[in-house]
Formats: sequence, C-alpha cells, structure tokens
Amino acid sequence: MQQAQGTAKRPEDRSTEFVAVEGGKETASAGTLLVAAYLVMWALLLAFVWIGWRRGQQLATRLDSLEKALDRHDSAKS
Amino acid sequence: MQGSAKQPPLGIFPFLVAATLGVFLWLIQFVFFKAPVAQAEAGGLAQKIFYFHVPSAYAMYLCGVVCLVSSVAYLLSLTDKWNAWAQAGAECAVVFGIMVLTSGPIWAKKAWGVYWVWDPRLTTSLLSVLVYVAVVVLRAFAGDGEAERKFAAALGVLGTVNLPIIHYSVRKWGGNHPTVISQGGGGLKHPDMQLALGIGFLAMTLLSVVLLALRARQLSLAARVGRAEERAVAAGLTEGT
Repeated sequence: MQQAQGTAKRPEDRSTEFVAVEGGKETASAGTLLVAAYLVMWALLLAFVWIGWRRGQQLATRLDSLEKALDRHDSAKS
Repeated sequence: MQGSAKQPPLGIFPFLVAATLGVFLWLIQFVFFKAPVAQAEAGGLAQKIFYFHVPSAYAMYLCGVVCLVSSVAYLLSLTDKWNAWAQAGAECAVVFGIMVLTSGPIWAKKAWGVYWVWDPRLTTSLLSVLVYVAVVVLRAFAGDGEAERKFAAALGVLGTVNLPIIHYSVRKWGGNHPTVISQGGGGLKHPDMQLALGIGFLAMTLLSVVLLALRARQLSLAARVGRAEERAVAAGLTEGT
C-alpha cells in the first residue's frame, strides 16, 4: 500500500522538522487550543485518579463487611 | 486475619509521587514560558502540545509493554499478581491513549485545519486504544473468572502487537502525520525544544510508573479481598453476593 486512502500526501511530503521562529506571531486560537489540550489531559488524569479512589472506597467497604462477619463469628464462639 | 498484616510498605512511592509532581511543574513552566514557538506550518504556539502528546504516546507504549509482559506471565503462571499488572497496564494504556487521541486532533485543528483525518498513524493508534478499551470493558463486565482473565490477557497481547504497526505506519504508508523525531525526521531545531521534549518524556515515564504501581497494587488487594470473601462464604461466615 503506497498511499493511504483518504490522504493526499506522500510519505516524503510530510513535515520532518520543527524550527524555532523568532518572535513567533500567533493567533489567540492556537493559545486556546494549547490550553484546551492541557486541560483535557489533566481532566483525564484526575478522572482516572478519582475512579481509582472510588474503587479504593468500594474495597474498604468489602473489607468492613468481612471484618464484621469475623466479629460476629468470634462473638458467637465466645 | 493474616492478610491484613501483609500490607506492603510504601517504600519509595511517596518520593516517586513527589518527583512526578515536581517534574510536571517544571514541564509546564518550561513549555509555556521557555520553549520557543514553532513555525506556523507546525501549528505555531499549538505545536507546544507536542511536548506532552509524544510523551503520552510513549507512555501508552510503555503501559502496553507492561500489559504484554504481564499478560504472558499471567498465561504462564495464572497468579493474581500478574493479572493485576496486566489489567493495570491495559487501563493506563487507555488513559494515555485517550490523551494522545485528544491532544493530537487539537493540534491538527491548528496545523491541518481539521481535527481528524484517516491517516495510517491516527487510525492504527485509534485501533490500538480500542483494543485496550475492549480489555478494560471485558474485565469490568465479564466477571473475574479464570477464563475471562485468560481471554483478557490474550486480548492484551493482541493490543500490544499492534503498537509496532503504529510506529512503522508513519514511514511505510502515506499520510499527514509528522515524523519529527523518528528515523528520517529532521528533528527539533532548537535546544530548548529538545529539552522540553526530554522533560516531557521524564514526566510521562514517572507518571506512568506511579499510575501503574498504584493501580496494580489496588487490583492485587482487590484480588486478595475477593479470595478472603470466597473463604468467608465457604466457611459460612457471610452470604455470597
């Protein structure tokens, strides 16, 4: 497969380097996109950590009920 | 209960978390205030997304390799520990994969004018993330029996086998995706750009280690609690759910 369907460029046409530009004229939209990308990244990370924390809580609940069962068993024996 | 006394010590983990936070703060400061703006064709200011887009892709590869190695180890040993690491690898690969698949299109909107094209690297990346999503969904909804674990491990191996295809797709097939740092690329033309990328790699490596360790430990504990619950049910201490 020499050329991907739906893409106009050949492999040799793509960018091969990033060059620093003095002063860097920029539009506001690029800054917005940059900040948006960072926010999305941090939102994803926080969501993953939050889900992990919730799972930790569920684990703690299961441990609590196990401990209660053991306590009931111990008090029934004594 | 003996199991509750076997909680492993935190060891270097708090230092690892502190180092991760420190390197991330350095990365943000460096990328926003020090790294130069690139040429307009590369997205201009939006090119700075590159400094965590590429490290996120690398972190996805790293988690994928952890998933592959752990899945194979699980299939050979059938232990809870390797199952936990395989699952943690797949989950973290999804997290980093979604970072790649959201940050890339945001940059593309500026550089290419569209969020998405069916470029070989984009398409293979999407497929790979979807395989890891399938592993996570399977583990979440199909139960935690040995057959399900084996199937998820096999799927995890399949997802990682796709990763080299993503890497080489950019060279073998046509498309728009830049090849700045892979073989044949012209590279980053400013030392601060190179340093920013280096910090990005360090930050994402630390973050992936933290997330993998955290999740694998939690999954190992969940497996131990599950076994204790089974024993409690068998001993008539509790009713099964």
